[in-house]
Amino acid sequence: MHRQYHYRTLLMLLIVYLAVMCNTTLRGFPKPTVQTVLDGSWAQHTEQFLGENLGFHDSLFRLKTQMDLFIGERIIQNVYITDDMLLEKLPAEQDETVVDSAAVLNDFYQKYRIPSYFVLVPSASEIYESSLPANTVKEEQETLIRQIYANVQTGIRCVDACNVLSSVKDEYIFYRTDSRWTSYGAYCVYQSAIRKMGLTAVPYNRYVISHMSTEFRGNLYEKTLYDGVQADVLDCYTYESGAQIVSVTAHYADGTTEDRGTALYDMSLLQSGNMYEFYLGKPCAMLEIQTNLENDKKLLVYKDDFADCMIPFLLQHYSRICVVDLEQSMEISERLADPTEFTQVLFLAGMENWSEIWQKKRMTQ
Amino acid sequence: MYLSSLTFTLLAMPVLLLLFCCIPQKGKPVFLLLAGMLLTCWNGPAGILIPAVFVCFNYGIGLLLGKLSEKRRLCLAVLLAAVTTQAAALTIIRQNRQDAAFIPIGIAITTLLGIGYLIGIYRKKYPPERNFLHLALYLTFFPVMFAGPLLSYQEFSRQLKESRPNIRCLGDGLGLFVRGLAEKVMLADTLGYVFRELRQTDPAGISMLTAWLTVMSFSMYLYFELLGYADMARGLSRCFGLELPKNFGQPFFSSSVTQFMENWNITHILWFQTNFRHLLFGRAKHRWVKYASLVLMWMLIGLWYKPSVQFLLWGMLIGLILAAELNFFKHIPDRNYAVGLVYTAISLQFSWVLFFADNMTQVLHFWRAMVGFGSGLIDKYGVYFLTSYIVLLLVCFYIATDLFRNITERISTTAVGRKIASYMPLIDSVLLIFCLACMLYTDAPAELWLQL
Repeated sequence: MHRQYHYRTLLMLLIVYLAVMCNTTLRGFPKPTVQTVLDGSWAQHTEQFLGENLGFHDSLFRLKTQMDLFIGERIIQNVYITDDMLLEKLPAEQDETVVDSAAVLNDFYQKYRIPSYFVLVPSASEIYESSLPANTVKEEQETLIRQIYANVQTGIRCVDACNVLSSVKDEYIFYRTDSRWTSYGAYCVYQSAIRKMGLTAVPYNRYVISHMSTEFRGNLYEKTLYDGVQADVLDCYTYESGAQIVSVTAHYADGTTEDRGTALYDMSLLQSGNMYEFYLGKPCAMLEIQTNLENDKKLLVYKDDFADCMIPFLLQHYSRICVVDLEQSMEISERLADPTEFTQVLFLAGMENWSEIWQKKRMTQ
Repeated sequence: MYLSSLTFTLLAMPVLLLLFCCIPQKGKPVFLLLAGMLLTCWNGPAGILIPAVFVCFNYGIGLLLGKLSEKRRLCLAVLLAAVTTQAAALTIIRQNRQDAAFIPIGIAITTLLGIGYLIGIYRKKYPPERNFLHLALYLTFFPVMFAGPLLSYQEFSRQLKESRPNIRCLGDGLGLFVRGLAEKVMLADTLGYVFRELRQTDPAGISMLTAWLTVMSFSMYLYFELLGYADMARGLSRCFGLELPKNFGQPFFSSSVTQFMENWNITHILWFQTNFRHLLFGRAKHRWVKYASLVLMWMLIGLWYKPSVQFLLWGMLIGLILAAELNFFKHIPDRNYAVGLVYTAISLQFSWVLFFADNMTQVLHFWRAMVGFGSGLIDKYGVYFLTSYIVLLLVCFYIATDLFRNITERISTTAVGRKIASYMPLIDSVLLIFCLACMLYTDAPAELWLQL
């Protein structure tokens, strides 16, 4: 190699390096302490910090996604890239262990004997199986859900969300860029769930639907930064002549509470990075909602973030609803809300979270 | 700290190189030693203890061997004791991998270098090193701690004395480092992902296609991972003014296993040749002793990769094939090139199964599937990965063969080749951008060489 090339190499690499580093914000750089340096966690944190805060992070990330797509891969960061939407790929599970998860519900039912309902929502990749990339192998969620349902005691009534969602798969029931369902998807399942709970669903035409945002890009987009799929619409359903909220209180795991007035939706979050939180406000261990309905129906919901779109529909039937995050351990959730005070209990989770939460619960036990 | 981590490439390396350039020539070895120690124990300061003990041990025994050099028998006894102790210590350390904080990077390499150093003194190739710092630097030289290449002590100390690092070394070395980084994060990591995904299939019900894809992606993954680390080490050492030999040729597409192994982990195998085979069996005339020593040496190499029965078997298998080639098929590759290619590719792919399978039952399942007696010839899983990654596999295969080298060599003398060479700096910097993009994926699994 000619001598001058060494200078050129050095110069070019230096330019790339400086360009990247000058755009890296070092604010929030992990501070070393004796403890963290000794156990090696500081080293891990710095690596992670650099990965998240590197200059041109998003452009570099898109470049990597495009590289993978270029060589022919259609699954990126466990997300299937299809023409119309991004679909989450669930990790391969050991079927037996998830099927055992029914035991948690059975224990709960044995203990309190309150009418309980169970909704397990399949992920979009199950409903839109036909649009997955050719030859991909995915596990049969529908069979798995049926197996879990079969292991649940007879006192707990299960809602077949798979069937409901499959029958309306041509509608906009799942977000294109997010793993969760849309408000309409939630409404369809609400209709069939509320019937099982002995109540009558509010007809669809009573709701006024407003588009809160047409620029929503959800968690699957965040994972891949793939722009080839159209952004999503966040809908807000209001029922003017229906029940109104009297108070909303958020309880946090550390014991603090926050009064959120009479509004369920948090409009300010529409401008934030996490638009989906708009439905129930900032995440908390338990959300307590009182309505102006004068009946003695009280509902306890154990949920993951799949339920966020569903709660506004349930409000129309109960004087009090407590929404407990499934991620909390059983002791904390029992401390927050005593199940004996409620007339009905609803377990609602997406399949992807359910297996994860279940694994975690098993580990803590 | 791994050479392919963001912390190293973006923070540690620039600081290291900048300071290295500023420090006067005399202080450079000490600086390199201290920097190496810092980087070794980055993920847990306890990691420094074991190499420190190894260095002190080798330093002391080296001096002792120097003193006893006239009493050959006593000298041999000391050497044997020292070698056994270190080999045993290494085995024990590697068996207790779960205490990751105490297991420093590259302890296996330190052991090899230490044993080689002692054997060199015993054979009177060089006097024992009196400068503790120089020996410590040799035994814990940071760049080579991952996947070599190994250098003899004689060569290392000569280079250390004569090295005059300059801007030319720096530019050239950084270019090589970036190319090594690209091999690691762009090729090896992607192949590793393919391999791990394919590996999720239960070996008992694996199809022929999936079995072959798994083995092929593994062999490519292993090659590019080790090659990438070796090239990064060479690049970094060149920045410091040290010229390390190549550790890998382009072994795929060889027409005999012998030819393949001549281009595989070159310096490691050379180490076993000089310090084991030639030392013990160098004077043996009988050809069966030669073959036996060859098989024995490969069994040792297998054990060095990982102390387990499977690796011992792998070594034995390779040793037997090499011995057989030496005796029976010496002329086949020359006469029938195509037969040689197919036979080499197939026998090696079968041997790699021993590297990654969890147990012998799995190995047998894999072998059965590879000859077509598994569960069917093709399945959806295999077809998906074949269609998604066949281009990448072919490209990697092409890079890993010497066909590529021939073409680049032929081009390099033409005007087009010179034009391409002038764009090399641009190519390197684009590669760096691509590497950074690949390094952003934070869920990178444990490095392959750590599992070995």
